Amino acid sequence: MSEIHGAVGSYVVNALDPSELDEFEAHLAACPTCAREVVEFCETAAELSLLATVTAPPPGVRTNILSAIKEVRPLPPELPAQPVVADPGESTPRRALPGSQVPSAPIPVDELALRRARRRTRVLTALVAAVMVVALGLGGVVYGLVQQRQSQIAQDTLETQLFSAPDVKVVNTASLNGGQVSFVASKSLNRAMFVATDLPEAGAGKRYQLWTIIGVPIADNQLDGGASTKQFFTGNVRDAAGLAVTIENAGPPPAQPTSEVLASAEI
Amino acid sequence: MARSARGHEDAFAELYDLTSSRIYAIVLRVLRSPDHAAEVTQEVYVEVWRQSARYSPDKGSVVGWMTTMAHRRAVDRVRSVSSETARDERYAHSGTVRDVDQVWDSVEQKIDVERVRKGMASLTTIQREALTLAYFGGYTQSQVAQLLKLPLGTVKTRIRDGLIGLRDALGVEA
Repeated sequence: MSEIHGAVGSYVVNALDPSELDEFEAHLAACPTCAREVVEFCETAAELSLLATVTAPPPGVRTNILSAIKEVRPLPPELPAQPVVADPGESTPRRALPGSQVPSAPIPVDELALRRARRRTRVLTALVAAVMVVALGLGGVVYGLVQQRQSQIAQDTLETQLFSAPDVKVVNTASLNGGQVSFVASKSLNRAMFVATDLPEAGAGKRYQLWTIIGVPIADNQLDGGASTKQFFTGNVRDAAGLAVTIENAGPPPAQPTSEVLASAEI
Repeated sequence: MARSARGHEDAFAELYDLTSSRIYAIVLRVLRSPDHAAEVTQEVYVEVWRQSARYSPDKGSVVGWMTTMAHRRAVDRVRSVSSETARDERYAHSGTVRDVDQVWDSVEQKIDVERVRKGMASLTTIQREALTLAYFGGYTQSQVAQLLKLPLGTVKTRIRDGLIGLRDALGVEA
C-alpha cells in the first residue's frame, strides 16, 4: 500500500493538514479503491458519531434554517437532465397551482419553465427519498406505519401481501395540502398503492391522478380526496422508477401531467 | 410554485426533525460550544438543502453523508477560531442537556450506541485513542501524533486500522 493510500482514514475523520489534504484529494480523484473506502469509512464514522451524547439543538436553529433555505436555491443535479418528452399535440402548460383553471387554449410551452418544473420535481424527489431513507434508518417511523396499516387491512389479501412483501418500500412524503401521503410499492409483486389520510378534495371537476414513471410519466388510476383513501396502481410497477400524483381534470387522463407534481416517490 | 416550494420545504423540515439531534450532537461534541455548534448546524442544513439534488446513494447513506458534512464543518470551525475561545467552558458548566429527540430516545438507539461502544472496545488502545482524538477532538493527525508521542506514519495507520476494525465490528457492508 502506498503511503498516500494510507491517509484515507485520516481524510475521513478530517485529520489532514491543508497540504496533506490537497495531496490526498488529488490521489483520491484517480484511485477508485480509496474512493470506495472513503464511502465505507464515512458510514463507519457516522456510526462512531453515535457516541456523542444525543442533544436536540436549540429551537431557534430550526426556525433559522427553515427561513434561510427560502433564500437559497438548491443546486441542480450533477447529471444531465433527461431529454424533454414533449407531445406537440398536448402542449398544455404546467400549472403552478394544482386545482386552478387550466386554460383550454393551447399555450406555447415555456421551455425554461418546463426545465424549472422538472428541476423542482427532482429536488423534491431527492428530498422525499432522503426522508424515506432516513426514516428507514431510524427504524421506527416507517415500520410504525406498516404495522398500523397491517392491523387495519388484515382482511385484505392484496394489501396484506403488498405490505408484507420482502421488498416492500414505503415512502412517506410530506403532507399534501395538509394530508399525509404514502406510496407503498413492491417490485417483486409488481404492485403499488397510494395511501393518503385527510386528503382534501381535488376541486370541482378534478381528481387526483396517479402516474408510474417508466422513463416518462404514464397515467395510472385516479382517486378522490377523503379522510382515508387508498388506490392501487394498475401500471407496470416492476419497471417503474418512480410514482407520482398530480391533479387533473376528471375523465380520460392526459398523456402527461398538466399540473405540478404534488408528491412523488422513487421506487 | 408556492406549493411546490412548500412541498420540498416540508420534506426538508421532516428531514431536519429526524436528524437534527444527531447532527447537533456530533457538532457540539467537536466544538464544545453551544453557540458555535448552533451556527455550524445551521450551515450544515443549509448546505444539505443546497446539495439535496446532488445526493445519490452511491455517496453512502443520507445520514452518513450528512454526518460527514457536519463533522467536516465542525472541524473547520475548530481550526478557524482559536482553540481556546472555541472550546469555551460554558459547555462544561451549562448542564442544560435538552430533551432528547423522541425518535432517538429509543431502545434501538441505545442498542446502536452499545454496538459502537463494543466495536470501539475491540480496537487496540492506540487505535481507539488516535481515532477518538481525531474524530471527537477535531485534532489533525500531526497533533494526534504529538499528543500520543508517536510517529505520524504510525498515527495515520492506526486511524485507518481503527476505522477498519470498527467497520468490521459493526458489520457495515463492504
